[in-house]
Amino acid sequence: MNAVGFAWRSLVRQPARASLGILGVAAVGALLFDMLLLSQGLILSMSDLLERTGWDVRVSLDESGPGRGRSGVINQVSDVLADIAALPEVRSAIAIRFADARVEGPGGEAAFAFVQGVSDSARMPWTVTRGRDAAGTDQLVINDALATTIGAEPGATITMRPSCEGDSDALPPVSFQVAGIADFPFQETGEGTAAGSLAALSRACGGNQDDKAHMLLVTSTGDADAAAAMIRRHRPGLAAISNDDVVGRVQQSGFTYFRQISTVLTTVTLAFAVLLITVLLTVSVNQRLGEIAALRALGFSRRRVAADVLSESMLIVGIGGLLSLPIGLALAAMLDRILKGMPGIPEALHFFVFDPSALLIHAALMTATALVAALYPVRIVARLPIAATLRSEVIG
Amino acid sequence: MSVETIVDAQNVSRVFAMPAGPVTAVRDVSLRIAAGDHLAVRGPSGCGKSTLLHMLGCVDAPSSGTLRFDGRDVAALSDSARSLLRLRQIGFVFQRFFLLPMLTAWENVELPLSEARVPRDERRARTRELLEYVGLGSRADHRPSQLSGGEMQRVAIARALANRPRLLLADEPTGELDAATGAQIAALLDRVNADGTALVIVTHDPSLADRARRVLAMRDGRVEQDITR
Repeated sequence: MNAVGFAWRSLVRQPARASLGILGVAAVGALLFDMLLLSQGLILSMSDLLERTGWDVRVSLDESGPGRGRSGVINQVSDVLADIAALPEVRSAIAIRFADARVEGPGGEAAFAFVQGVSDSARMPWTVTRGRDAAGTDQLVINDALATTIGAEPGATITMRPSCEGDSDALPPVSFQVAGIADFPFQETGEGTAAGSLAALSRACGGNQDDKAHMLLVTSTGDADAAAAMIRRHRPGLAAISNDDVVGRVQQSGFTYFRQISTVLTTVTLAFAVLLITVLLTVSVNQRLGEIAALRALGFSRRRVAADVLSESMLIVGIGGLLSLPIGLALAAMLDRILKGMPGIPEALHFFVFDPSALLIHAALMTATALVAALYPVRIVARLPIAATLRSEVIG
Repeated sequence: MSVETIVDAQNVSRVFAMPAGPVTAVRDVSLRIAAGDHLAVRGPSGCGKSTLLHMLGCVDAPSSGTLRFDGRDVAALSDSARSLLRLRQIGFVFQRFFLLPMLTAWENVELPLSEARVPRDERRARTRELLEYVGLGSRADHRPSQLSGGEMQRVAIARALANRPRLLLADEPTGELDAATGAQIAALLDRVNADGTALVIVTHDPSLADRARRVLAMRDGRVEQDITR
């Protein structure tokens, strides 16, 4: 019987102790797994979200990130758009303008919504899920949240009173037809969103907000960083950042907190795991000192009895570690829902994202835990004085 | 007839450092054990019998004197070399059996064979042979908790004989058994000795000691009497 088989029998011998150890490791392992998913999740999710939109450079006055970059207005945007679209590094570009609006449905139900107006383009920064895309200056698409709140379906007429730059309160309500229901990549959970052409938003803003936008979305011909650099050179007054820049900035700024929290919690959970297994193994070894001394007297080497204890530790951690993965995934889904309830978080963004590297790190950390946890009990059995132990066992 | 010496102890002493001062458990004992010997060590509790047995079995080292096993100075051997020596040359039988409770009788007996890396087929044949030898062929699949005290000690004897040791050391092998069961174990040990294994038994039990051809009587760590019959 090899050390692993022997360790397995030792575990089965004391099922309550073994179960306690395995469940403890499963709980700790699940937390560890979640911390690992959290440590990279937001970055991976953000990166994925940016890639999914299809635009890889964002141009604004002040390096606004994705979503609602609202701080500065780019004037004469049609000239700017034409200039940028003509650059060899740029395949296509659209201008996008944002506003807030009070929207009223056909039944009179009202809600505040985030409104986007986009310059003419073959591709819009949203995906129509029902009905059709907005066309002309009197049609809009709205998201599910807004449709549900104001009771509007494709074909319905809604009234919008927007707050545009500079003229917020003086604007009369404007009617639009809902052409379809759409998903917006950066829409926040429960937040109403409406969108149409730049001209449609301009109409809602009283027609005096023509040729202005908050952001340009650019698709490069392949090298987003080169396109961004070229735009910055060509239009020094504008800030152009690639998706990689956006992710890098998120990683360096707000995301640092998540990483620090995750590092601290990982360390604490691993310390708990080490203590738990060390205590269980030490108790187990101390209960079996006579047997171990007898095995040594019968010729079992120090290495062999140490391997038995180490294998027991590896088995507890291995089984607990495997159990921890589904538990961790379920816990991550629950925590993700809670965190996404925070205001300002895009619906499609996730805090916990599965990544194969997290599995590898999890396995490596769990293995290290098993090794470290076994150190003390292994030391006990390796240094066991055979004769003294046999004597004391008989006297005891 | 020329007999081969297995263990040769010359003036061995064992001193334990205790909080109240050093305690000498064994003093200047010289002893030679040859192949086929049957030796009993008796004496009152604390006289040093078990300590002497542990030194003869290479699980404890003398504080002074020399102990040679097969002509090799045991003090010069590394821990792993001493382990290997015990595995292949020495068998131990304990008062409390020390069988592994999670293993069956078969697995307990097979364990030292696995450790000695005996090939599987040979291991199985030897395990079967040993269990038959101790009369427990039909109890191979029983765990220690399903065996009586006498049966457990028989399994322990089979385990001690697994690697065909030249020397079998038994420390109070009947200490936990009733008189009738003890007599059965004593008879089994006689048979082991008759089959060629040198046997050293530490015991309080006069009836067990009387079965030996040579009896050492110890007191205060010294050999008071060395009687060969």
